Amino acid sequence: MTGEEPLLSVRGLKKHYPTGGGLLSRSSGAVRAVDGVSFDVGRGETLGLVGESGCGKSTAARSVVRLEEPTAGEVIFNGGGRAGASRNDDGTHPNDVTRFGRAELKAFRRDVQMVFQDPTSSFDPRMSVGASIAEPLSVHGLSDRGRRRAIAEDLLERVGLSPGDYGRYPHEFSGGQKQRLAIARALVLNPDLVIADEPVSALDVSVQADVLGLLEEIQSTFGLSVLFISHDLSVVREIADRVAVMYLGEIVEIGPTEAVLTAPEHPYTEALVSAIPTVGPGGKRQEIELTGTVPDPSNPPSGCRFHTRCHAVVQPEGIDLDQSAWRRVLDLRHRLEAGEVDLETVRESIRARTDATGDLDRSTLGTQLRAEFGLPETLSDPVAERELAGSIEALLGGDADAAAERLASTFRTPCEGTAPEFTGHGGGHRSACLRHAPDVPSEPE
Amino acid sequence: MPPERFDRIDWEEHAGSSGFSASINTVAFVLTALSVLALAGYDRLFAAERETVFGALARDVGVGPRFESLGIGADPGALEYLFVITLLLFVWYLLAPLYQNPRMTRYYWDRFTRNRPAVVSLGWLFVVFAGGLLGPLLLSAPQQDVLAGHQPPVYLSIDASNVARCLGETVGGRCHGTWRYPLGTTQAGEGVFRNVVYGMTISMQIAFITTTIVAAIGITFGTVSAYAGGWVDEALMRFVDIVLSFPTLLFFLLILYIYGAGLGMFILVFSLFAWGGTARYVRSKALSIAEEEYVDAARISGASTYRVVRRHVVPNTASSIITQLTLLVPGFLLAEAQLAFLGLGDSGINSWGQLISAGRSDLAFAPWIVLAPGIVLFLTILAFNFLGDALLDALNPKTEAERGR
Repeated sequence: MTGEEPLLSVRGLKKHYPTGGGLLSRSSGAVRAVDGVSFDVGRGETLGLVGESGCGKSTAARSVVRLEEPTAGEVIFNGGGRAGASRNDDGTHPNDVTRFGRAELKAFRRDVQMVFQDPTSSFDPRMSVGASIAEPLSVHGLSDRGRRRAIAEDLLERVGLSPGDYGRYPHEFSGGQKQRLAIARALVLNPDLVIADEPVSALDVSVQADVLGLLEEIQSTFGLSVLFISHDLSVVREIADRVAVMYLGEIVEIGPTEAVLTAPEHPYTEALVSAIPTVGPGGKRQEIELTGTVPDPSNPPSGCRFHTRCHAVVQPEGIDLDQSAWRRVLDLRHRLEAGEVDLETVRESIRARTDATGDLDRSTLGTQLRAEFGLPETLSDPVAERELAGSIEALLGGDADAAAERLASTFRTPCEGTAPEFTGHGGGHRSACLRHAPDVPSEPE
Repeated sequence: MPPERFDRIDWEEHAGSSGFSASINTVAFVLTALSVLALAGYDRLFAAERETVFGALARDVGVGPRFESLGIGADPGALEYLFVITLLLFVWYLLAPLYQNPRMTRYYWDRFTRNRPAVVSLGWLFVVFAGGLLGPLLLSAPQQDVLAGHQPPVYLSIDASNVARCLGETVGGRCHGTWRYPLGTTQAGEGVFRNVVYGMTISMQIAFITTTIVAAIGITFGTVSAYAGGWVDEALMRFVDIVLSFPTLLFFLLILYIYGAGLGMFILVFSLFAWGGTARYVRSKALSIAEEEYVDAARISGASTYRVVRRHVVPNTASSIITQLTLLVPGFLLAEAQLAFLGLGDSGINSWGQLISAGRSDLAFAPWIVLAPGIVLFLTILAFNFLGDALLDALNPKTEAERGR
């Protein structure tokens, strides 16, 4: 960011949902849907916010506009005549949306609008679409019915529909048309910022391009800023100037779209980028497959939240393994810790393969277990091999806890102990990965 | 002046304006309802004890007996005024919007007419409605005439020994019916046809007033409960549990023995304890609608919670509420008839139940006294049930969404 004041500046935004609760039960914990997110959106800029489903990107957007009340953090909005404000003496900011009172919030609503994901539910089925588009006008005090109608009809034309559609009902439109209508409704108050929450993910690919084109055209005509939320990097690439990648409630990498997509610095971004389908020969990339399951946001992993799935997870001092074998050992460890390793299924698969009956000896079981987790027969590092073999021995002996403990004592990545700080890569491109920290010399490749 | 454009509005100009503008329907309803209330107030304050309100009005305004010559000679009571106001609600908030949104109306009408029995039911209910509304204006109330008791309906005959005086022809010892009493007469000589017509008024009064009370309380409790949440929700829903488990009939009998019970008391007691299910239903609907994106869109446009509820939540629950209320009406009509049959009803009114009750001792030789109102009651209840089912299908948003895709 240059020295210019950004339109929207989000700092340390958190949204936690208490679990349990109710009158009788005490609240026991919280789902940390958004856990300390910071980003800026400049004037006229499009920021793409990407991440897989459930990573908290929609919640972040809804917290920014206070459709959900944020748990903590600051949302400073400098649009709509609020520019140039400086902080109060007590450190609060006069443009902090999270502190807005009723009247301020209503005025703020005029300057930020949203386009939603699901075209079937984003219009009131009992209202004509024209009335839906014009409704914000009457909310904000434009009581002249004729003017409201004229404005809505003009907007209908701008988004590629006809003024005659004013009196029609939502069920008479296709999904793509409804998203156009949604854009018209988001524009009607002449906002500075439009938040588009997966606006095209429910549409066919051919229609997606039309709607994206319309959004870009409108944006350049009216100098809008857009916060564009999507799980699809290939869509974000089309429209965003900068992109922020979210994982489990946190931003892991942020930077100019081109830089992030061509040279991703965070392993999670690498994996997302590798999943973008490419056209033509030669452009074929090795697709990175993420192992492990998405962790539960009410109990996120310690340290770097991605370490349970990361393909580039850092190896501790004294262990030197092939990176994929290292990843597999960690997977085995996490599964053991979660109590998800079931020896009976291992036995079943041996019986199915060899028609063996009766008791199976330990070495067969051990080999099969390694095969199931994609581990080699023996690890290249003798120390690691000794510990792994010992752990498997303990597991076959029936003591899963001891097995997990033994693995945990040796195969402990620095990633789970230290939460990574952001490191800059130039040009506003920053990522949060331990591999870039200066005190981790061994770059595992 | 350039064409209106969204980016040329000077919002400072509108700052501070709430944007509140009453819809034309609200204005019309308030005006008409106020004039009815004014008439009721005039009736209470200025009309003499035995004078009709229109008679008093004609005297005070000085137009002579002009009202009576127009056929407006009715002397409405509190129940009638309430009935008229509920009718106004029905006209301005249900019929007028249908007229104002012809596209929507045609859409639902097409879906509704796929159900033939429902169309017939609607026709029958319209007959009952029109009969109840216009009948008392066109026909005078049934009069007792002991000498004309037990006259058979037209085209039917009865053994002449059962009638005091046969008004029609007596052929071969059998008394035949006349057009003067198309459906015959009761023991007291009241015309069954007129009684049935007057019963339509009573039934319509029961239907409209109870549904209005049930809808008003149910929608208020349901939406407040859904939107307030927390302990308010908890308290309101526990109150609904109490209402639902309240022994309404026993309570009504208690009131009956202490104060006596007219039709007004019947309507009041039964509707005040019938809204529990509606409130629960509205609450669950409102909760699911609150999740819809168009509610988020309205909220993010700055709409207040009241506006969201009034403009989006209630209209979208309306279809289900209408269906539910339509299915609630038969219960009230049956309850009234049952109480009347047991002799616990309001004996001062010409309800179908009273007529059935009056005819049960003569069932052996004059079955029409029971059959005529019984069949009409049966058909009306059947029609309400058919209508409710058809409305459920026609207004169901699920099937609508599937068609919309």
